[in-house]
Amino acid sequence: MGMGQEKTRDEDLMAQIATGDEEAFRQLIERHQDRVYGTVAKMLGGTGPDVEELAQEIFLRVWRAAPRYQVKAKFTTWLMTITRNLVFTFFESKKSRRNELSEQAPVGEEDFATAREASLNRTAADELSGKELAEAVEKACSELPHGQRMVVHLRQHEGMEFEEIAKVMGMSLTAVKALMFRARENLREKLSGYFRASN
Amino acid sequence: MNKKNEPRDEGLGRELEGLLASVPPPKAPAWFAAKTLARLRAERISEVRGVWFWMPRWKWLAAGLGVAVLVLGVMRWDRPSDAISDAEVFAALNSLVQEDEESRWWAGL
Repeated sequence: MGMGQEKTRDEDLMAQIATGDEEAFRQLIERHQDRVYGTVAKMLGGTGPDVEELAQEIFLRVWRAAPRYQVKAKFTTWLMTITRNLVFTFFESKKSRRNELSEQAPVGEEDFATAREASLNRTAADELSGKELAEAVEKACSELPHGQRMVVHLRQHEGMEFEEIAKVMGMSLTAVKALMFRARENLREKLSGYFRASN
Repeated sequence: MNKKNEPRDEGLGRELEGLLASVPPPKAPAWFAAKTLARLRAERISEVRGVWFWMPRWKWLAAGLGVAVLVLGVMRWDRPSDAISDAEVFAALNSLVQEDEESRWWAGL
């Protein structure tokens, strides 16, 4: 399936959705639901009702915006821009209520230090369990500032080019690369123990 | 620019990419599309209801105007007319003349 073909189909679906075609909307959801749901889950640091509700809201925004949709960029770039806007708005509303998810269950530096030490004390025969490693990576990512987390996700899991990420984030290319640089430094610091353990 | 061909200082680095790749983002639950469509339909229904509740201002206004026109029409229809027709005048005159003649007859005039 070529990228151009998929893009055309997305645009066609959007044109049909603009006329109120629910079947076209269902197809669009099924095509992009993992991308949107996964992004929201990564940004919020896990799955749950908030993730599902927010991901649904993103698609409902797509439905409402369909009559005004104009092809200015790749559909996925537009979709991820809506996703970014809603996720960041969600964080803002949570922050205003001092109830942000990422602050609810963060792993403190002490926990990380303990985990790191534990991993360093392992012998070569002791392999890190996949679950433990996954948890450490998840926690390290969830502690990143929102912008860095989004950039890392779009780059690493969505495979987006920096130019696309810049459009999604509404930033310059340089600013996005700077965010990525800082994210890399933060992640390296938080996961340094696991690097050594896995090497 | 191909991700693999980028300078190392722009990406996350091979080690980090490997670690992050070990934790892929979760997939949407199987019912996600169905639930989203159900939510869309529910919102559309509530929007229609909202319009319904908003519309009666006009509907009731139109209905009220219609009822007022009907009531006024009925009242106007039932109201006795101020004008007296010629036939009524002549009938009244005839009855006066007849009454006068009867009075004269009884008086023997």
